[in-house]
This record gives sequence, C-alpha cells and structure tokens, in this order.
Amino acid sequence: MQQRRTTLLVWIVVLLTTAGSLVPSENPSMKAAGPQSTSAARSPSPSPHRATLDKFCVTCHNAKLRAAGLLLDSVDLAHPEANAAVWEKVLHKLRAREMPPAGVPHPDNATYESLASDLETALDAAAAARPNPGRPAAYRLSRFQYANATRDLLALEIDAASLLPADDSGYGFDNIGDVLTVSPVLLEKYLSAAATISRLAVGDSALAPTATEFQVPPATVQTERESRDLPIGSRGGIAVRHHFPLDAEYVVKVRLQRGKDATTIVGMTEPRELDIRLDGRRLKLFTVGGRNEASASSARGEPDDGLEVRIPVRAGSHLVAATFLKDTVKPEGVLDTSGEQAFFEGVGSVSIAGPYAATGPGDTAPRRKIFVCRPQRSADEETCATTIITTLARRAYRRPIAREEIPSLMTPYRSARTTGGFEDGIRLAVQRILVSPNFLFRVEVDPPRAASGSAYRVSDIELASRLSLFLWSSSPDEELLGLAERGRLKDPVVLRRQVARMIADPRSNTLVSNFAGQWLYLRNIEAVLPDPTAFPDFDENLRAALAKETAMFLESVLREDRSLLDLLRADYTFLNERLARHYGIPGIHGTEFRRVTLTNEERKGLLGKGSVLTVTSYPNRTSPTLRGKFILENLLGSPPPPPPPNVPSLKEDKDMSQLTMRQRLDLHQASPVCSSCHSRMDPLGFALESFDGLGRWRTGVDSSGTLPDGTTIDGPVGLRKMLLAREEQFVMTATERLLTYALGRGVEPFDMPAVRRIVRDAAPSEYRWSSLIVGIVNSVPFQMRRAR
Amino acid sequence: MMVFQKAIPRRTFLRGAGTALALPLLDSMFPAFASPAQTASLMATRVSFLAVPNGIIMDRWTPGAAGKGFPLTPVLEPLAAFRDRTVVLSGLANNEARKLEFEIAGDHPRACSAYLTATHPRMTSGADIHCGVSVDQVAAKELGRRTQLASLEIGLETPMVGACESAYSCVYYNTLSWSNAATPLPMENRPRAVFERLVGDSTDPAARAARLRENRSILDLVSEDLKRLMRSVGETDRLKLDQYSDAVRSVEQQIQLAERQSPKELPDMPKPIGIPDTFSDYAKLMLDLQVLAFQGDMTRVATFMVGHEMGGRAYPELGFGDQHHSLTHHQGDKAKIEKVLQINIFHAKLYQHFLERMRSIPEGDGTLLDRSLLVYGSPLSDGNMHLYKDLPVLLVGGAATGIQGDRHVQYPENTPIANLYLTLLDRLGIHLESFGDSTGRLDL
Repeated sequence: MQQRRTTLLVWIVVLLTTAGSLVPSENPSMKAAGPQSTSAARSPSPSPHRATLDKFCVTCHNAKLRAAGLLLDSVDLAHPEANAAVWEKVLHKLRAREMPPAGVPHPDNATYESLASDLETALDAAAAARPNPGRPAAYRLSRFQYANATRDLLALEIDAASLLPADDSGYGFDNIGDVLTVSPVLLEKYLSAAATISRLAVGDSALAPTATEFQVPPATVQTERESRDLPIGSRGGIAVRHHFPLDAEYVVKVRLQRGKDATTIVGMTEPRELDIRLDGRRLKLFTVGGRNEASASSARGEPDDGLEVRIPVRAGSHLVAATFLKDTVKPEGVLDTSGEQAFFEGVGSVSIAGPYAATGPGDTAPRRKIFVCRPQRSADEETCATTIITTLARRAYRRPIAREEIPSLMTPYRSARTTGGFEDGIRLAVQRILVSPNFLFRVEVDPPRAASGSAYRVSDIELASRLSLFLWSSSPDEELLGLAERGRLKDPVVLRRQVARMIADPRSNTLVSNFAGQWLYLRNIEAVLPDPTAFPDFDENLRAALAKETAMFLESVLREDRSLLDLLRADYTFLNERLARHYGIPGIHGTEFRRVTLTNEERKGLLGKGSVLTVTSYPNRTSPTLRGKFILENLLGSPPPPPPPNVPSLKEDKDMSQLTMRQRLDLHQASPVCSSCHSRMDPLGFALESFDGLGRWRTGVDSSGTLPDGTTIDGPVGLRKMLLAREEQFVMTATERLLTYALGRGVEPFDMPAVRRIVRDAAPSEYRWSSLIVGIVNSVPFQMRRAR
Repeated sequence: MMVFQKAIPRRTFLRGAGTALALPLLDSMFPAFASPAQTASLMATRVSFLAVPNGIIMDRWTPGAAGKGFPLTPVLEPLAAFRDRTVVLSGLANNEARKLEFEIAGDHPRACSAYLTATHPRMTSGADIHCGVSVDQVAAKELGRRTQLASLEIGLETPMVGACESAYSCVYYNTLSWSNAATPLPMENRPRAVFERLVGDSTDPAARAARLRENRSILDLVSEDLKRLMRSVGETDRLKLDQYSDAVRSVEQQIQLAERQSPKELPDMPKPIGIPDTFSDYAKLMLDLQVLAFQGDMTRVATFMVGHEMGGRAYPELGFGDQHHSLTHHQGDKAKIEKVLQINIFHAKLYQHFLERMRSIPEGDGTLLDRSLLVYGSPLSDGNMHLYKDLPVLLVGGAATGIQGDRHVQYPENTPIANLYLTLLDRLGIHLESFGDSTGRLDL
C-alpha cells in the first residue's frame, strides 16, 4: 500500500492533479466485470466539461469543419459509453496532450485531468456493467506456434522456415488471427511438412538422404572460441544441434570461408588444423593450408573438397562442431575500408548429409514420446495403436478426444498397417493429425445457451490454449491440459499458480523472442545490412552480440520480474569483449557474455542498446525521424499518421549532400505539411544523435531538440527523463502491445477499459512483468468471449 | 462446340469487350493432349520466362541488322543450334522500371519488379508492397486449370530478408512473379523442394501414385474434421475454416490431375539432396527440373530467375572471382567488360542446355519444344548505366507455335515490353485488352 501511495504521489506531482480520480480499482479479481461494481452513479456532470469542449475543441471539431471527422459539438457528454470509440480517441489525445494542437490555447492540467478521468470513469463503469470481450474467430496457428507445438508434441525440433512459408504480420505481430490466412499453397506445405515431420519422428526406414547446410556468415571474425558448445582451445567455427533420424551413416562436410571475391580461401599459406566433432568427441582432425596443401590442391580443384567424414551415428539429437584449433597464425582477413566488406578466414559452412546405410530407427526422444506402449503380439496392436494415437491427438488438439472421433483417427493407421508395419501405421496417423484443422486451428465454441451478444467466460479447455499460446507460443502441456479437463482453471488460485509456473518455464522465453522481438523491432537486427563504407568495423560478431545483449537484457527483466520501467532505466546490461569495445567500455575480455553494471548514464535502458539504435537507422547513417517514430509508436503509443500521398522524400541530390543532417531535417520544419508530424518525431530522434547508426557513442554532435509544446530535450538522459515522466503513457502502450500479442488481434476501443484496469492493478507493484501478465490473463478480453 | 480456327486474328479477338480478360479460355482452344497436326496447331501450350540479372553487354548481344538470317553475336553464339526457332527482339523497353521524380535509389529492384508485370512497383520498405500481376501469372490462371501446379517459380539465390536498399522491401529483389498487385510469389531455390513439389519423393510412377493416394486419403479425413468443426462453430467464425475447405478442395483437384498424369513416363531422376557445389551444376539441375515439370505436364508456366538484380554472385568456374553486379559497373574498363561478357555467354550456354533438353524429349509427333514459347532476357539492358530501354530479349518459339524463327526484329525505341506479353498471351489463347503499360500488340 505504501508503495502504491508513493507511485501515485509521483503521478500526482507530475500531473498536478487531485488524487481522487486516480485511485486504482480496489477489486483486482474478475468480479469487477459484473454489474455490481459499477460506479456509473458517479457519472460526470456534463456542464463544466461541455464548457471545456466548447472552449478548446469545438472550434475545429464541429459539424461544419468536421476536423478528423470528429463532431464534438453535438456528441452527448452525459453518456460517453454511447460513443465509446469516439471518446477513447479523445481520451488518448488528452492523455498524450496531443490536442489541442500546438499554437492554440490549451486547458490547464487540472482541466485536462478532470475531463480525462471523468471520461475514463464513465467508460470503465459502462464496460464493467456490460463487458465486451470481443469475439475471436477460428485462429490458425502461426508458423512459429506450429513449430513449437510439434516440438512439444513429438519432442522434435523442426526448422519451420524450411517447411512452411512465412506468415504475414498485422498490428506489428505475426500471430494476428485476421491475417493468418490459409491458401492451397499453404495446405500443400502442411501436407509435405506433416509427411517429413512424421517420418523423422517415427524414424521411417525409407527416409531419403538429405543434406542440411549450416552457414557461418562470411563477415565473421573467427579468432576466438565462440561458444561453450565448441571445444576449449578452438577458434571460430560453428556448433549445431541436429536431429539424426536413424541409426545410420552420415557425412559431415566442411566448406571453408571464401574471401570477399567468393572464390579465394583466405589463410591457406600456413597449415591450420580443422577439428570436426560429434557431441564433443573428435571425429577427425584435418590439416589444411601450408605449402604442401597449396600445391596439392591446385591439382585437384578446391582445397576444401576433401574435408568430410562419413561416420555411423546413433539416431537422435547430436551436437556437431567444426572449428579450427587455436593457433598463433595472424588472421589474414584484414578489414578493407575501401569498399566491400572483407571476409575472414575460418569455417564457411557445415553440412550434414544422410541417412545412408541405415540399420534401424534407434532410440530417440521422439520415439519415446510417441510409442507409449509396445504391442507384445499382433492381437495387442490395435489397442496399443489406439492408445498411442489418441494420446497424441489429445495433446495435438489441445482437448479431450471424443469417442466418435477415434475411428477417423485410426483410419490412416489401419490402411497403412495393411500394406506396411505397425510403425508405418503410427506414422501415417501422426501425419494425419498434423494436417487436421483440430491441430492447425484454435476454435472456440459458444456454449449452447449463451444469449446472443452476451459475454461469457470461455471454457477451461479454451482458456488453457489461450494461456499456452500467449506465454509459450505453443500448446498446453500435460499439467495445464489436465487441470483444464478437470475444470480447475476456473479457480483463481489454481490459475495464478499456473501462470507463475508457465512464466518460470523456459518456454516463456517466446515472450522475449516473439513478443519483445517484434514489439521493439529487434528481429530486424538479423537482417540489417550496414553499409561497409559508412561502417567498416561492422562484422557478424557484432551483429550477433547486439542481438544477444538485448535478448539477455529482456530475459533478465522478465525472469527477475522487474518493473516494465526498467526497460527504460535499468543500470545494467550484458556484454562480451566485442560489444564492450563497440561501446567503449573497458575491461571486458573474451567472447562470453556477462552482466555488467553501467556507470555511463547514456547507455542505460533500451535506448542505449546498439540493437535498438541500429534497427532504427538507415544502412549508412542515423535517422532522427526513424528513431523518433520508433519512440512515438512503440514506447508512447502515439504513432504519427503515415506520410500523406505525393509528399516527396527529402531529395538526396547534390546540394542536399552539402547540408548536415540537422539542416536537412530543418527543411521539415519549414514546410507545414512536413512539420505537423516531423515536429513530433525529429526532436525525439535528435536526442539520440550522439549514437551513430550502429549505436556507437560519438562526440561533437548536437543532440538537442524541442518538442512541439516547447519542452527541450538534450541527449539520451534527457530523453529518458522525459519518457519516465510519462510512465503511464509508456506502460499503457506496452500493455496494449502485450494484449495485442496475447489475444492475437488488434486492441479495439472497447478493450481500453480492460487496458486501464491492467495498468491500474499493476501500478502498486511498479508494473512488474508478472503483474501485467496476470492482469492480462484476468482481463475481460482474455477470459471471455462474446456470443454470436 | 465452338471451334476457333487458327486463322482468327487474335489481336482483334473480342476487343472492346470492356474487361481486361475477355473470356475464360475454352477447352477447344487448347488442345492439351491433342497431336500437333490438329486444327489449332498454331498454338502454344506452355510458356517460360527466364531472366538473367544486371543487364548484358549490348553490343555483343544485338545482331547488327534487322531481318532474316541475322549474324550470330558472341552472346547469342551458344544458341546457334536453335537459330531457326529464335527471334531476337530489339527496341523493347522496361518503361515502368523508370525512376519517378521522388524516388530514391532502387534502380535494380524496380527493374526486376517491373519486368514481367509492366507495372511500376511502389517504393516502400514496409508491408504495403504493391506492384502488379505478372504475365506468367496471367498465363497460369488459365493454363494452370489443367495441371497439378498452376505455375512453377524457380530462382537460384537464397531470398534476401529484412531491409534491402533503404527504401525498397526485399520482396522487390526476390521475385519476378506476382499473382496480384500485393502478392509476390517466392522463387524456390532448393532443388529438393522443387522436386518434392513436382513428384514427391521419387519419379517412380508407383511411388508417386502411392504418395498421391496417401495425401488424398488424408485430405478425405481432413474434410470430415472440417465438417464436424463447422457444425460446432457459428457462421461468422467460419471464415478461416472456409478458406481451409477451399484449399482442401483445390489441393484435391491438383491431386486428381496429378493422378491422371502420374502414369506418364518420367525419366528416372534421383531426388536432389542439396544444392550442387558449382553454379553450372546447380543451374542445370534446376533447369532440368523445369523440363521435368513440362515433360510430365505438371505445369505449363514456368519462371526462372537466374540471379537477383544487384546480386553479388561470383562465377569462379569462369576463372575469376569478381562479383557480377560490381563488374557491370565497369565504367568502360575493358577488362571488366570482358568479364561481364564471359558471364553473359556463360548464362546463354546454360540456356542452350535447357533448349537442348526441351528438344530432346518427344511429345506427340514432335518434341517438348514444339508447343513452347520461351523468353530469355534481362530486366536491364546496360547494367553500367541502369538503362531500361532496348532490352536484350529473345523468343524461342516451337514449330507448332507459328513463330517464324531466324529473325532479328527491330521495334521502335521504347516499345513497351508489355506489347510482347500481350502478343504471347494471344498465342496461348488468352486475350487481354491490355496489360501493364502496353500500347498494343507486336508485329511478331
């Protein structure tokens, strides 16, 4: 309680307002959705607010001028719930102080607050009395969810990207039901993916050999031991985990890295030792390079033609490593600043081909998962097959299997069993399950007696799927599904315990890789192509380090259940030598990452992370506009509208190139069409100008900017202070994003009462992740559904 | 039954009908399994577009004078054996690739995006990508009704992802084919994936038939699942499930078509394991797969992208390691020009391999080549200057297509390449009012 008061107090000071309207709801349970908690009696008295609107808003937003199609002269202030969508829009503008626009008279803060909070009170009360949870339609699993669900179902890691096409995104995420469409091509892919996966999982003896190649990006410096999966005393190379589907022979083949001409193998003058290992055990040590090698190789094609071993491997998942032994040879890949990126010597790729001369399916994790029983004699086969198939179907369909479904599940088994063996039957049954709409779609069904348009609580089984898709991007596990089948998830204590367990589970890391990765554009770090002329020092090690730093940082905030605000202000990060050098932080050695306390104020929080700064830059320079847009859109939830049609970009012609970035962007301010949005974006980006296009600190750069309301921000520290002063706006934005991701749909105006509720309830704990997640799980849109 | 004789002047066929696509194709116009001797003999049944990136050294491509019996130039030399079937088309232009006043960079992605679409691609790096339907996909919509796959798109490079040239989405680099203005089609670069798409695990008819049977029986069960699900959910929730049902029906149809064709003898081709080490082996394998698709009548439309525009591939087989794109910015350097020429000739030799394969496989009374319209070209002419006019384009028309070969035709400068596409579509029995920036038909 003490903490809540403190937080509130800060708020009150910031907003210069009275506390009464901001008291968080005292009732954190779902019951608030019922009509008994309505405070509609306290509906706003219309007169002072009408006067405020008439004085400050109606000048433009009237029936004649119709600015933004908003008619505030005629709208009914006594019953905002009748036009909730309109008022939510108004609220947003009021809370962000975006309206009235700069240059015309503004209400004082107290007036802003009283209007906004009275509107909120009325809207929230109306929503509590008549909750509208929305009505999600049948939802197809995304590629990512499909891969995770098959992994959990069959204990088999698959490379979904090679099996299925990428999904479209909506609202910034690729798990949005509306845009997850189905096409004949996708079904074709589902069919062939199901065939591949079921063969790999069961260990089909007829598996055709395939080659899988794992590449080391050419611009990787390979002078140090790169991971714990590589042997001590190694440098560079690659370690990959690969599923070997059968007890059989496999060929592991290494190609060496080419120079930037894509032909020459760099570093062949001195002999070097290439080490190929399986699960840490050396398979073969090759000597490459040196004078003998060089002369011999000219006679027979490429010098790395023979770098392969054919070895018997037991079926299952194994770690394959290819690396050089650490030597004293100086790396020959010297950075060439003249133009194209230099490449470095080392391992170029590892490919694993097979199975050849298979001897059997072996004993693998997928087989242990599938074959929960073994028929002792042929009379047992049918019973055992039924057990195996219904067990898998229940997990795949995320619900109990009805008796009448069993024959259809058994059909493929029976038909394959007539021509093949028991395992062929099981394989085809698995294949069939993986193409069933019951697996590929999350379908929710109205209860039989739900009144049309009424909100009802989804069943425990449906809630379990919502939970697992949200927290794990996957299917429920046995514990969750079991509780749901027994109807136990209704119990708030059980539910809360499950959520805590699921967050603690490593699978919740999808909240970092999937949610935060898309929210903060961090996925794009994999694809940026910094211009080598502008950034000659860029190498793949830096790309990897930038990605890893932020991933580890986000994971720590989640795992340690820190405040969401720590994303902006945390005084620690994770560094290895490469990244520390990039940041100019001394005393960090080696390729391993470690937690480092930041003493430099500018580096604190997300906006000091090289990854964020890089994905919001152009390949050859910073863009205050892109960075400003990123902040407005993703941290403050006030995206500028897209540029109007026919507005030319700033021309990159000769006379422009004489201007500094700031002079060029000042042209935005000169044109009214540009300045209406750029006056909001550019100053935020200017504050980060001391970070270059890869997030490296640079001095002598003007990093000040003036917001439309006259506030000046100077540098990253000033920007952070400004953002933290608007913590509620930030938390609201983050919550809307998380809710979008959790629901797999866009957040609608009718969801805003739920968003406010989540934020209010999380405030006492200073917006810890767990409080936001629990808030979402308990929210009306997550727990309920509107009947048809 | 309506029978359209070959004599109908197709360029005026149904003109003024008011819609872009005048009429659905009639079976009688399309003698898929008929012998070349039948009435509609001057008709092509399949079409392929192959594009090489970064332009060509034009003065080593273009035969000096227009007319019959053109002299072979260094780049055309590898195609000498097919001269009787070849028309070199000069003067065509990729006009829609031209840079608009406000656009920044993007010369290369605009070139390949506009090439088969004759539509200007929208400059965007975001989700609102926009171009136009490509000519191969117009053909696929009609010719694809009778085949297991409507079309086949093959590329020889790994798709680029993320941010490409600052203002252009990578989509504009990755493909030549668009099924509509907002839907680029991926070019498959893995031989194994192409093979599996065509025949599954094996070219053996029995194995193919077994796989088709397996998929069909699974789809039957999927349909049952769908029916049960549909009964339980409300009408408004069905949208995605309806999509799934439609997809099931469409794949079932494909399977039916494939089953009808699977007894067809296919050459015994092993399933590719990975990507061959040398580029020529890789390209030939992919071209062979394209031939396989034609041979089994698994598709009648194929698009082949030899490389990405601005692509950095080097061709060590030629004895030098320079990247193609950087070489094309030769700025007059003789040594660089010579190397680009070597690459141009190298690509033409790969095409020679393709044409030889097409002519070596019997079909009806003749060969696979007879009913084929095969277009070879590049979205740019001069890669150094990024010119979009006077494109290097040639057409190989099989004996049954009515195309007179052994000619070099000079069209007026800046004739839209879309005019060629309209003319080709006519030959395929698809009659459009206009396409992209077309201004009419070509006198071919």
